[in-house]
Parts: sequence; C-alpha cells; structure tokens
Amino acid sequence: MSGPVVRLEHVTKRFAGHTAVHDLSLDVPAGTIFGLLGPNGAGKSTAIRMMMDILVPDEGRVSLFGGGVGGRDLAHRIGYLPEERGLYKKMKVLDHLVFFGETKGVSPARARSKAAEWLARLGLSDWTDKKIEDLSKGMQQKVQFAGTILHDPELVILDEPFSGLDPVNSQVLKETVIDLARTGKTVLFSTHIMEQAEKMCDRVVIISRGEKVVDGTMAEVKREAGGRHVALAFHRDAARAAPVLRDRSLVARVDDDGASAEVELAPEGDSDRLLERLVASGAGLSRFEIVEPSLQSIFIAKVGLEAATAAAITDRPGRTTHA
Amino acid sequence: MRKAWVVAKREFVARVKTKQFVIATVFFPVLLAGVMVAPILLQGNTRAKWIVVVDAAEGGLGEKVEAALTRATRSGNPDGEHRYVASRVEAVGRLEQVRDSLVALVDRRELGDAGIDGVLLVSDEVLVTDTLHYLGGNVGSPSEMETLTQTVQEAVLTERLMQAGISPAVLMQTVKPIELVTAKVSQGRLTGQSGAASFALAYVMSIVLYVALLIYGVQVMTSTVEEKTNRINEVLVSSLRPFELMLGKVLGVGSVALLQLSIYAGVAYGLTQARGAIAGLAGMSPEAAAAMPIPDIPLGLLIVFLVFFVLGFFFYSAAYAAVGSTCNTVQETQMASFPVTILIVSGLFVMFKLLGEPNGQLAHVLSLVPPLAPFVTPARYSLSPLPLPELLLSVAVTALGVLAMAWVAGRIYRVGILMYGKRATVREIVRWIRAG
Repeated sequence: MSGPVVRLEHVTKRFAGHTAVHDLSLDVPAGTIFGLLGPNGAGKSTAIRMMMDILVPDEGRVSLFGGGVGGRDLAHRIGYLPEERGLYKKMKVLDHLVFFGETKGVSPARARSKAAEWLARLGLSDWTDKKIEDLSKGMQQKVQFAGTILHDPELVILDEPFSGLDPVNSQVLKETVIDLARTGKTVLFSTHIMEQAEKMCDRVVIISRGEKVVDGTMAEVKREAGGRHVALAFHRDAARAAPVLRDRSLVARVDDDGASAEVELAPEGDSDRLLERLVASGAGLSRFEIVEPSLQSIFIAKVGLEAATAAAITDRPGRTTHA
Repeated sequence: MRKAWVVAKREFVARVKTKQFVIATVFFPVLLAGVMVAPILLQGNTRAKWIVVVDAAEGGLGEKVEAALTRATRSGNPDGEHRYVASRVEAVGRLEQVRDSLVALVDRRELGDAGIDGVLLVSDEVLVTDTLHYLGGNVGSPSEMETLTQTVQEAVLTERLMQAGISPAVLMQTVKPIELVTAKVSQGRLTGQSGAASFALAYVMSIVLYVALLIYGVQVMTSTVEEKTNRINEVLVSSLRPFELMLGKVLGVGSVALLQLSIYAGVAYGLTQARGAIAGLAGMSPEAAAAMPIPDIPLGLLIVFLVFFVLGFFFYSAAYAAVGSTCNTVQETQMASFPVTILIVSGLFVMFKLLGEPNGQLAHVLSLVPPLAPFVTPARYSLSPLPLPELLLSVAVTALGVLAMAWVAGRIYRVGILMYGKRATVREIVRWIRAG
C-alpha cells in the first residue's frame, strides 16, 4: 500500500477551557509500528479519538487509508483499544468476543473461531466459558486486546496498551504487536513509557501540550537529537560524582537515576576529561559508555522535565466529546 | 442499522439469561394463578354455617327466620348450594337459659361439623326495636354479617308487612330486587361487551403500560449508566454510532418486556380458558366459574393497545436513555429521571380522569399529545372506539413525537455516554442538543 494509513493535517481540538490538540500534522506509513508519545494530558488520546471519529476536529482534516471517511465507517478495517478499557462483567469471555466481532461486521461463526484462536494464543483457553468478572485484571486486558484484533484489522490503534500489565503480560503483548507488524499490519500506539516505545517503534511523534515537538523515524530522531551522550553507572557512592556532573563546562545536561545516569556532554566538554574526573571522584565508576541518546532523554529534553513529571501526577480534566 | 440488532440481541440474551428474569417470569404467573384459583378453592371448602335460631317470638317470626336462612343459597339461585343449616329452638320465657346453653357449643372446633357456628336470638321485640342479637364465631367477617343481616331482614320485613295485612303473594312480588344488565353500544352498533368489562380493560391496559414503562424504561436508564461505569462505551462507539447503540438497547430491553408480558398474558389466557376445569377440581359448578369477571379483549383493541404500547415504550425509553447518559451513578439517575417519571404518572392520572368522559373535548386534545396519547387513546378506544381518522391521527402524531424524542435523546446520548465527572447541567445538555 502506498501513502500513509493515517494522516492528520493541521488538526486542532479545543475543549471548554483549553486546547487539547493544536495544529497537529502527522503521517503513519503503512506497515510500521508508530509511537505517539507524550506526557499524560499531552493530547494523545484526543488525537486518537479524532482518528477514530469519536471526536470531530475543530480545524484540520483526518484521513484514513487515503480516503475522507471517518473511522467508524471503516470500523471493520481498524482495531481500537481505548485508554478506558471496558467489558460487560456478566458476559462469558467467548460470548463477549463474539459480540465485539459482530459489532465489527464479522459473522458470529467466524468471530467464534477467531476468538478461540486468539484466546489460545494469549493463554486464555481455559477461561472461554468463564464470566469476565471472574478474570484477573491482566486477563481482562488480554481479552480486551483479543477483542481489538480478532476481526483481523489492517490498522491497529492502541491507546496506552501497556498500562496496568505486569512484565510477563507486557512481553506477550509486545510480541503480538511485533507479529502484527510483521504480517503487514500498521500499528499505532500511544504511551508515556519511553523504554517500551524505544524498543518497538519504527517511527515516533512526541507531543507536548497538544503540539508536536518531535517527528521522525527512530534513527532520525536520535541523529537529530545529536549531542554526545555518555551512559554512566556507579557502584560505590554516586553522590561523590555529583560535583563533577554539575560542572557546566563539562556536562550540559544530566538525566540522573541515582546509581546510574545519562549525561549530555557540553559543547566544549571532552569525554576523556569526564572519565578522568569521575574516576578521581571515588564514586566507583562501573560503566562509562558513549551512547546514542535514549528516547527517554530526548523526551525529557524536548518536553521539559517539569512538564514530563508534573503532568504525570495530575489527573486529567473531564472531557466532552461528540461524534 | 444492522449493528443495532447486534446490540439488541446482546441486550436481550444478557437479560433473559439472568436469574431475576427467570424468577420474575415464573413467579408472577404463579402468583396470578394463585390469586385466581385461591378464592375458588376457598369457596369450595366453605361448608354451610349452622345457625340455631333461639325463638322467643310468639307470632311465628322464628319460623320465618328459620325458613329464610334455610332458603338462602350462595349464588342466589334457588337450586344452588345452601349458605346455612338452620335449626330452631323454642325458648318463649327462657331465652337466657337456652341462649347460654347453646353459646357453650358455639365455635367448638373439636366438635367438627357438630359444632354450632352461631346463635341468633329472635323475639317479637325486634319488630319494635329494630334490633336483633347474633352470637357467633364469625362475627368478624363484615361480608358474612352483611348477608346474614339481609337474609334475616327479609324475614322480618315479611312479618311486618303481614302484620300490616298484606298477602304473602303480593309481598313476594314487591320485594324482588332488580338487576341492571348493561351492554355497550359503540358507533350505533352493539359490541357485546359489558360496560364493566370495557372499564376494567381500559384500567388494566393503562396500568400494564405504566408498570412496564417504570420497570423496563428504568432498566434502559440503569444499563446506560452501567455501560458508562464499565467504560465500555468508547469501545462500542468506535464501531457503531451512538444512536445505533441507543436504538439497540431500547429494542433489546423492549423485546424482553414484550416477551415477559406475552408470557404473563399467555398464562392468564390459559387460566381463563381452563377456569371451568380448575373450578371443577375445587368442586365448584362450571356456571359459577363462568360467572367470574374476566373480560375478553376484542382484537381491534388489542392491536390499538400494542401499537401504543410500542410507541409509548420507545418514547419513554429514549427519554430514560438520555437521562441515564447524563449521569454517572445509578443514584444520580433517581433525581435526574424525575421529570420523565412525572410524565408517566401524569399519563396514568389523565387516563383516570378521562374514564368518566372518554369523548369530551379534553380527551380529543390529549389523544394528540405524544407523551400522554399512549395512555389516553387505548383507554378511550376501549370505552368507545374513536373514529378511524382520529385514531390514525393520534398514532401519527405520537409516532412523530417518538421520532422527535429519539432525535433529541440521541443527541444527548452521544455526548453523554462519553462524559465523565460532574453531572451535566441543563444548559450543557441544551448545548449538546444544538451542537451540529
């Protein structure tokens, strides 16, 4: 397929008090894993809802599969996992998935066999006749995910798919997503967890306060972020290294995690000198590696540490929507 | 709109499969059967009451009272089952002694059928004082005391008139009561329905509509709120239009309502058809059973009722769905649904008012008010069928009202189901309705 699967052109959406998305343009090429990144409240879900035709943009244009039709009329070609997960608690797992399939226009018989297939793949075969309310949260998430993709959509849109999953289930989900991309599907997912995105995405867009701040392939983004980054780890007393890291003639920026840190060298800074000083500090240097900037450090550099953390703790305001 | 059916199907299956549905569906007919059969069984088991007349009268009043008691039957038909077994004890001059010895035998359950149920004291004084004394175990039952009074009164009346010199033959003619047999005429034609039956039908239909709206309409509202709480709406709204979702829900719940009511109606019909057999089991004569007041529903009326039932259900369910979509918890809906509930209650009250004058000016006007017509029009039709053009006009106007309500409700619903946080104010809701 040529041309982007999802295209936003100068899309703006305002709610009562604030602008959720401002002049956002992006292209999601076919067959890629696309990350829509940003701190909480940045407008990721609003952007996704506009793609899904749940919200109508105030300005700009959304097009899917190169056409002008809204997401709902293409529902059978799209799998959507909303941020707000929801299942009927009293329904049996298999019946529920068949219902989801039918709302996408899949025949009950085909939905049934597809659902059974996915449940087996996600390790839920023993639970097909159990009620949703009898399942653990993690299992419910997997059922929801199965419901998102059982109609074999070309485009899969996942809003914060990893939130609430334990490491094992995260891994299962990650592998499934990569498999989907391998079979030619296009996957767009939003997250505020950069490590996850860094490992999976071919392409990322980072938005902050409704505006796009980074756009490109993972390689482009890292190259553009440039700078010389050094990953550090200490095994004795990291505090002794602090004065060295505060030296602005040497270090431009620190992403400090306590026992480890990622620093960006100052323009006139020199990695050899940094190494000397750190060894001399007696902090017990156990890692010193010149690296590409991590997505996390790019994210913090672009979004600002304050916005990245402050937004993560405040709850988002109530939303109004109309379709 | 095919997807609305998917939603309706899910809603229907999810409801019909619940224990509550099964219990309500089984329990109600059993209750209904009980209500219908119990009186028959109870009647069948009542034996004739044994009343001893303590006769201290000299002029033959005692005999007349005894005869009147013996003659009395349950159905009023001379060949029917006797109400009393009467015997008479002469007690001129020793009323107290006889009374006391007999009272000792009253209501002695260990004696079984040999026990006396009551003692009636008759003396000539009654002709002057208008007072009679009855001592019995069953004086607590007003209905039994009323029939006893009537029976004895007949004897006292006869005695008084005879003492005034009127012959017994003339007497029998004069005291006969009359009965008013009614037949309903509609549009110059006899309908074969009695006045009481039309009235009962109008009444029952409105109550059925009222109860169904309050039970099932509220279910539409509650389930809308539950879907918000479940957060399932966003998943669904990505594959179907909110209006399809609302329509599916109303159709699904509505089908459950119709199914349940049909089961009830079927059971009621079956019982009515089998009432002879049931009465037979209870040892009751078939004609007595046939006299039980169960009206037959004419086909025309049934159709009119069903049409308005469906219209009314759609109208109010859509309103309830809209209300539900603006709330976040079931508790909130109790306040928010007040206006809708008031409309339903006023529909019922207006119908009661119109029973007295089904063809008045007010009745004509109210048949054209969509929220009230589902109550008013079938009731009017039952009492006195409307001319066809007026009936069709009422249907058309109500249907337009339903469409208007569906439009407004749909606009509120599509915004409301994805709104969380504070309950929407009336001003916000008006804005949702206006928003393109």
